[in-house]
Amino acid sequence: MDLRAGDSWGMLACLCTVLWHLPAVPALNRTGDPGPGPSIQKTYDLTRYLEHQLRSLAGTYLNYLGPPFNEPDFNPPRLGAETLPRATVNLEVWRSLNDKLRLTQNYEAYSHLLCYLRGLNRQAATAELRHSLAHFCTSLQGLLGSIAGVMAALGYPLPQPLPGIEPTWAPGPAHSDFLQKMDDFWLLKELQTWLWRSAKDFNRLKKKMQPPAAAVTLHLEAHGF
Amino acid sequence: MAAPVPWACCAVLAAAAAVVYTQRHSPQEAPHVQYERLGSDVTLPCGTANWDAAVTWRVNGTDLASDLLNGSQLVLHGLELGHSGLYACFHRDSWHLRHQVLLHVGLPPREPVLSCRSNTYPKGFYCSWHLPTPTYIPNTFNVTVLHGSKIMVCEKDPALKNRCHIRYMHLFSTIKYKVSISVSNALGHNATAITFDEFTIVKPDPPENVVARPVPSNPRRLEVTWQTPSTWPDPESFPLKFFLRYRPLILDQWQHVELSDGTAHTITDAYAGKEYIIQVAAKDNEIGTWSDWSVAAHATPWTEEPRHLTTEAQAPETTTSTTSSLAPLPTTKICDTGELGSGGGPSIPFLISVPVTLALAAAATTTSSLLI
Repeated sequence: MDLRAGDSWGMLACLCTVLWHLPAVPALNRTGDPGPGPSIQKTYDLTRYLEHQLRSLAGTYLNYLGPPFNEPDFNPPRLGAETLPRATVNLEVWRSLNDKLRLTQNYEAYSHLLCYLRGLNRQAATAELRHSLAHFCTSLQGLLGSIAGVMAALGYPLPQPLPGIEPTWAPGPAHSDFLQKMDDFWLLKELQTWLWRSAKDFNRLKKKMQPPAAAVTLHLEAHGF
Repeated sequence: MAAPVPWACCAVLAAAAAVVYTQRHSPQEAPHVQYERLGSDVTLPCGTANWDAAVTWRVNGTDLASDLLNGSQLVLHGLELGHSGLYACFHRDSWHLRHQVLLHVGLPPREPVLSCRSNTYPKGFYCSWHLPTPTYIPNTFNVTVLHGSKIMVCEKDPALKNRCHIRYMHLFSTIKYKVSISVSNALGHNATAITFDEFTIVKPDPPENVVARPVPSNPRRLEVTWQTPSTWPDPESFPLKFFLRYRPLILDQWQHVELSDGTAHTITDAYAGKEYIIQVAAKDNEIGTWSDWSVAAHATPWTEEPRHLTTEAQAPETTTSTTSSLAPLPTTKICDTGELGSGGGPSIPFLISVPVTLALAAAATTTSSLLI
């Protein structure tokens, strides 16, 4: 059977639907709220923490995959893994993203990545790897919640799941071991790049949020939070 | 035999002389350019002359000994750089120039050294290269930059000839960049390539305008300020963090402070009265490596002004206080005058002892000179 790498992502698509129904973080409803500034800072800090955690996790996982995946010069062409959310973006487009879009892209990316990571966990051979992956997934879930909190504080709606995703999980035919490992490699690479990008995204948001604290409070009141 | 007609004879002679003259002084065809490898042997034929033709060789106008000749060919063994020059062979009797060779002695290129760096993230990066050993002859370099399968343009630096610049089109890419360089000259060819991720080559320039100032009425403080490097295009979205190191000149051990933001810091544990050397480095908050250390700033913490002298009785004490304010270095020893003449001792004791002598002499005469 001739399968393209990346079909394993489709297999796990249903799992992602579960994530879209994450309990929304309760909206900030305390008076004297300092605004989204502290939660943006917290989100930024979480991306740094996750990036640090990922470094050791990726090292272990790539060693588990074995050569050539754990070689520093490994530079394969990006084939397959098409449904992976890509961090790469045109410089000018990135600069001019409005806050809502910036946050939405981050939220959607991590939702997908978390879903795929959970799939990875399912297949991991050693208990140690499963433990590390589970720990990372929990932290990543925390990041998602943090982003959701920022979006709620700013009055942006959480993105809805895309239509057309199969609700029932059908285990697809297994494809080659090597292609599966390629998919894993790209997942980890994309995750690392997203964490770097998010740090820059939240830096930008932090700088923009600083002056008009009063305006944000008014915004919260208007939405009845 | 009939006698030659005088005018015909002169005409022929004149024509012959003219021919010889033009052959000697007419504009030469361009010399043949030849590149040869250092240490090798080369045989230079005299153009199309027969092997047994009688010729003289000259290099840069100087005659060459005939023992270097193999027939009409010049043989040079074990070429050295000094062998480079303009070689010319002449017909021995007529001094007619037969052939010229411009010889360049050099080496084929070794593998070039290539490195790339982004000091203007996220605008772009530059790559620079050099040869580890000289070739002594002209080289041409060719750089290609690939991002995945896409070819990117590397624009030549207007000032530096071994550098070119690439602009980032996309940020946060998971695809590596591959930069290849090939170098060639008349004697050979070489090439190398490097591959890297966007994030790993980020290294800002050092912070600029590092200034250290004493803090009035605070003998243990120094205030340090600096500026983000002017080449870093967007410190707002891509903030830098800083690393400060400082030590008194007399010690080798540095103190370090890492600062996550701001371009100022106050040192609060300086040794009183000691001159300090201070440097700062910068790094993007999340990615890449630390910059080189900045140009050093020097400063000495604020010290209280010494009180004025009033009486003659205090003169000897004044001299001792003069020596102590010079802050004797740990390596200093008080030298005896016998060492001063030897010239082999360290210079520092000499500097310490002289003021003592002068101060004592001054005190011995009058005290009025000590009053300010």
